[in-house]
Amino acid sequence: MKAFIQVDQLRLRFDNQFKKDTLSNLSFELNHGESLLLLGPSGCGKSTLTFCLNGLYPRELDGEMDGNILINGKRTTEFLPGELSQQVGVVFQDPETQFCMLTIEDEVAFGLENRCIPQAIMGDKIDYALELVGMLSLKKAAVTSLSGGQKQKLALACILALEPSLLILDEPTANLDPIAAKDLIQTIHQLQEKTNCSLIIIEHQLDGWTALAERCLLLNHDGEIFYDGLMRHAIRDKFSELETQGIWLPKVTQFLLNHVDGTTANIPLTIDEFSKQANLWEGTNWQQNEKQLGTKKEKLFLEATNISWKANKKEIIQNISLKFYEGEFIAIVGANGSGKTSLSRILAGIQKPTAGTIHMKDKPMKTWKESYLRDEIGYVFQNPEHQFVTNTVFDEAAFSLRIKGMDEHDIHKKVASILNTCGLSSSKQQHPYSLSQGQKRRLSVATMIINNQHMLLLDEPTFGQDAHSNVQLMELLQTRFYHGTSIVMVTHDMELVNQYASRVIVINEGKVVSDCSPADLWQVSAEQLTQWQIDLPISIQLEKIYEKEANYVSTPS
Amino acid sequence: MRNWRFKEIVVMAALSVVFAVVYLAFLPAGKLLVGLFGPIGYDLIFGIWFIVSIIAAYIIRKPGAAFLSETIAAMVEVMIGNATGPMLLIAGMIQGIGAEAAFAATKWKNYATWVLMAAGVGSAITSFTYGYFMSGYAVLSTNYVIAMFITRMVSGALIAGLLGKALSDGLAQTGVLSSFALGKAHQKRNAA
Amino acid sequence: MFLHRLNPSIKAITIALIVVLLAFIFDPITPFIFLIGTIAITFIFGNVEWKKYILYFIPFSILSFGMLWTTIAFSTPSNNPNDVITLLGMTFPRASFLTALALSLRILSVAALSLLFIFTTNVVDFILSLIQQLKLPPKIAYGVLAGYRFLPMMKDELVIIHQAHRIRGINTAHTIKDKWHQYKRFAIPLLASAIRKAERTAIAMESKGFTGDKNRTFYRHFSIVKRDWLFPFMMLLLFSLAVLTSLKLGYI
Repeated sequence: MKAFIQVDQLRLRFDNQFKKDTLSNLSFELNHGESLLLLGPSGCGKSTLTFCLNGLYPRELDGEMDGNILINGKRTTEFLPGELSQQVGVVFQDPETQFCMLTIEDEVAFGLENRCIPQAIMGDKIDYALELVGMLSLKKAAVTSLSGGQKQKLALACILALEPSLLILDEPTANLDPIAAKDLIQTIHQLQEKTNCSLIIIEHQLDGWTALAERCLLLNHDGEIFYDGLMRHAIRDKFSELETQGIWLPKVTQFLLNHVDGTTANIPLTIDEFSKQANLWEGTNWQQNEKQLGTKKEKLFLEATNISWKANKKEIIQNISLKFYEGEFIAIVGANGSGKTSLSRILAGIQKPTAGTIHMKDKPMKTWKESYLRDEIGYVFQNPEHQFVTNTVFDEAAFSLRIKGMDEHDIHKKVASILNTCGLSSSKQQHPYSLSQGQKRRLSVATMIINNQHMLLLDEPTFGQDAHSNVQLMELLQTRFYHGTSIVMVTHDMELVNQYASRVIVINEGKVVSDCSPADLWQVSAEQLTQWQIDLPISIQLEKIYEKEANYVSTPS
Repeated sequence: MRNWRFKEIVVMAALSVVFAVVYLAFLPAGKLLVGLFGPIGYDLIFGIWFIVSIIAAYIIRKPGAAFLSETIAAMVEVMIGNATGPMLLIAGMIQGIGAEAAFAATKWKNYATWVLMAAGVGSAITSFTYGYFMSGYAVLSTNYVIAMFITRMVSGALIAGLLGKALSDGLAQTGVLSSFALGKAHQKRNAA
Repeated sequence: MFLHRLNPSIKAITIALIVVLLAFIFDPITPFIFLIGTIAITFIFGNVEWKKYILYFIPFSILSFGMLWTTIAFSTPSNNPNDVITLLGMTFPRASFLTALALSLRILSVAALSLLFIFTTNVVDFILSLIQQLKLPPKIAYGVLAGYRFLPMMKDELVIIHQAHRIRGINTAHTIKDKWHQYKRFAIPLLASAIRKAERTAIAMESKGFTGDKNRTFYRHFSIVKRDWLFPFMMLLLFSLAVLTSLKLGYI
C-alpha cells in the first residue's frame, strides 16, 4: 500500500530571497494515523512546508516550487482550490488571527460552509467538533471573550469539523502560557485516540509532545532534512547537529545531558520515563548553578507603597507594597491575568496607579520629569516592534542620545559599542522590522540600556523565541546585571527564574503572595504552587522524583 | 475580482478598518473647523477622508482597490455605529469612484505621485458634487461654493495624495508589504 | 421585535431609498414629521435603550445646529429682504431661515434612520444577508468580516504603542513637521501589524477551504418573507404622509 503522504524532491524558493532555496530536496513519507514531529531552527522553512502540504503553495506562492507532493496518491496541484482542506487541516501559531466570525458556532460553521455541507447536518458537525475540544458549552459565546488557550482549541475545533485525515499543528503553543499549553497538548492527546488522524507537529518547545510522536523530522538552516527517525536515536546519533542548529530538546533530556557526563543513549525524554529509571541517575548534582547573584539589599532604588490599580471597574492590582534595591535580579511570576504585566508597567512609571505612591531614589515618581525618569528606568515591551520609531537599527539605538543633543561623534562610538554587546553590529543599516524575533528583542534592550539605566524591566522577554535567541538574550541581561543594572522581568519560565533570578515575586489575583529567593519558593507546598499556576523547574522536579524513587528502591523489598 | 488574491482583500479590509477609525477621529476636528470657518472648515481637511483609497490603490495596484477600500471604510464606520449611517456608505462609494477614475485613466498602470494627487482631486470632485446636492450647498453664495470646491481639491491632492504616498512608502520600508505590488516595486529598486 | 427580525438587506435598502428621497425636500415640515415618526417607529417596533439612543443622538444635534447657523450666515442674499422672522431677539430673512431649518432637520431625520438601523441590526447578520440577498461577493464580504474583527485589537495596540513611544522619550510635538512625524511613527507600527495580521488571517481562512466561490452553503440562512415588505411600506407611507401634511400647510 502506498503511503498517505509522499513528499518527493520538494524544492522551494521565494522571489525575494535571492539565490537561496527555502526548502531544498525534501523527501519523506507519512502513513495514515502516524505522528511526526517537525523540528528545526527559526526560519528553516517549517511553516513554508505547511503551506505546501495544504495546497496553498504553489497557488499563492511568489516564487518557484518543484518536486511532488502526493496525498493519497494524488498531487496537491490536482486538487481544486479549497478541496484539500478536507484532507489537511492546519492550526496556526497566533490564536488571534485565525478567525473571521464573531461567535464560536459561526466560526466552526465557516469551514463547513466553504465545503458546501448542507445546513441540515451542520449543527451536528459543529457540536461534534466542539465536544472533541471540550468547548460545547461555549457554543454561543463571542470569540473575543475567549482566552488564548481557548482560542487555540476553537481553531482546532474548526479544523476537526472538516474531519481531515492529516492535522498539522504549526507551533500551536508558542503564544500560550505554560498552563494553557499543557491543556492544549492534553486535548490533542485525547483527540488522537478518538480520531486516529495523522499528525504533523511543528514546535520549538518539545515538552509534552514527545509522548505523542516518536518519530521526528529534523530540518537545518538550509531547509534540508538532516534526520528522519526516532527522537531517541536522533539524540544518540545527531547530538552535535541538534545543538548547532539550536533545536530545543525536552527539558528533562537537556538537563540530564548538561549535568551528567557520558552516554546519550537511553536518555529519558519525559518525566514519566525518568521516574521509571530514576535510580540510574545516582550521583547527579541536582543543584549546581553557583549563582553569585548575592542580594545585597543596601541601596533602596524603588519603593512602591500601597499601590492599587483599577481598570474597567476591576481591581487588577490590590494594595501592593514592594521595595527594590540596586543590584537585584528579580522575576515576577504568576498566572495569566494575575496582574504581573500591569504591576511592571506601574513600577516603570508608564501607568499611573489609582492609589498609593511610588518613590524612586526617595523622590515621588510624580515629581520626576519624564526625560530624567527614562534615564533611570527602561522597559522592554512584549512586542518590541511597538517601541521602534526609526528606520534603521543604528538610528534606533541612537535615538534617545540624539534627543539629548549628544555630539554625533560620541553617539557613533556609544551606539557601536552597544550594538556590539547586543550582537547586532552586522545589522546596523537594516530596518528594525526586518530583524528576527530574537534580534528585535535585543535591539529593544539596546535602546533601553544605552543611557546606562539603573533598572530594566522586561515583559516576557523570552516569549516565542528559539533556543539560541533565548540564550543570547539572557547572557546579555546577565552582562548588564554584572555592570550594575537591576533587572526585573515578568516571565512564565521557571527555568529562567531558577537559573538567573536572585529574588522572585509571585502575584496572584492582584496581590503579592510570595516574595523570596527562588530556592525558598520551590519549598512551598505543591498545592499552593498549583494554585498560583507555578510549575517547578525541571531540576527540582527531577531531584524530588529521584529522592522519592531512590528511597523507595533502597528500602528492602 | 477574479485576479485579486484573497490576502489582498483582507489586507485592504484591514487598512479600511484602521482608517475608518481615523476618519471618525477627524470628525470632531472637522466640526471644530466648521465652527471657526463655516462649512469650508470641513474642506480644509477633507482630503483625510480620501486617504485610504490612495493608500490601498498604491499598495495593491489592482482595479477596484480605491473604490472598494473607501466603501469598506464607510461600511466599517457605519458598523462602529457612530456615523451618519447608510448615507455615509453612499458618500464613501462616491468618493471611491472619484479616486478610482483617476487610476482608471492610466489603465491602473501608473502610480506616480501626480496620479496619486489626481486621485485625491478626483475624490474631491465627486464628493463635492454629491455634497452639493445632498447638503444643499445650492443655498450658499456662489463665490463661497467655489472657494469650498477649490479648497477641497487642494486638500485632496495634498492630504490624500501626498500624505497617503508618504505613509505607504514608510510602510514599504518596513518590509511588511513584500508580497504586495508596492513592496515588490521597492525591493526591485533596492536591488537595482 | 419586528425591527430586529427584519431582513437586514430590506432594512438597509429602504433606509437608503428614504435618505435619497429626503434630499429632494427643502421645507422644514416634512423632515420634522418624518423625524418624529421614525423615532416613534424605532421605539415601538424595536427594543432600544433610550439612554443609549440619546447619547448617540446628541452629536447629530450639535452638527445639525451648526448647520443651521452656518446656512443662515452664508446663504445667498434673499430676494425680498423685508420678509423676516424674529427669533430670540434676532431677525433673519424668512426664506433662508426656513431652508436652514429644513437642512438641519434633514440631518436629524437621516440620523434617526441610521440609529434605527444600527440599534436593531447585528453586523454579521447584515453582511450575511448582503451575500445572500444582494449577491455581494463572498470574497469581499468575508474579507470585511475578518477586517472588522481587528478593530478591538487595534484599539489595544494603539494604547500600547503610545506608552511604548513615551518610554522612548518622545515628547509632545509642537511644530507641524514634528506632529506629522509623530503621526507617522504611530501609524507605521499600527498599519504594519494590521497588515501582518490580515495576511495571517487570510491564510488561515484559505486553509479552511475558503475560495471566495459564490457556491457555498449557509449555517445561518436569511430569506425575505412577506412580513419584511411591511417595513418599506410603513416607511414610505410615513414619508408620504409627511409630504402631504406639509403640502396642506402650504410649505411646499
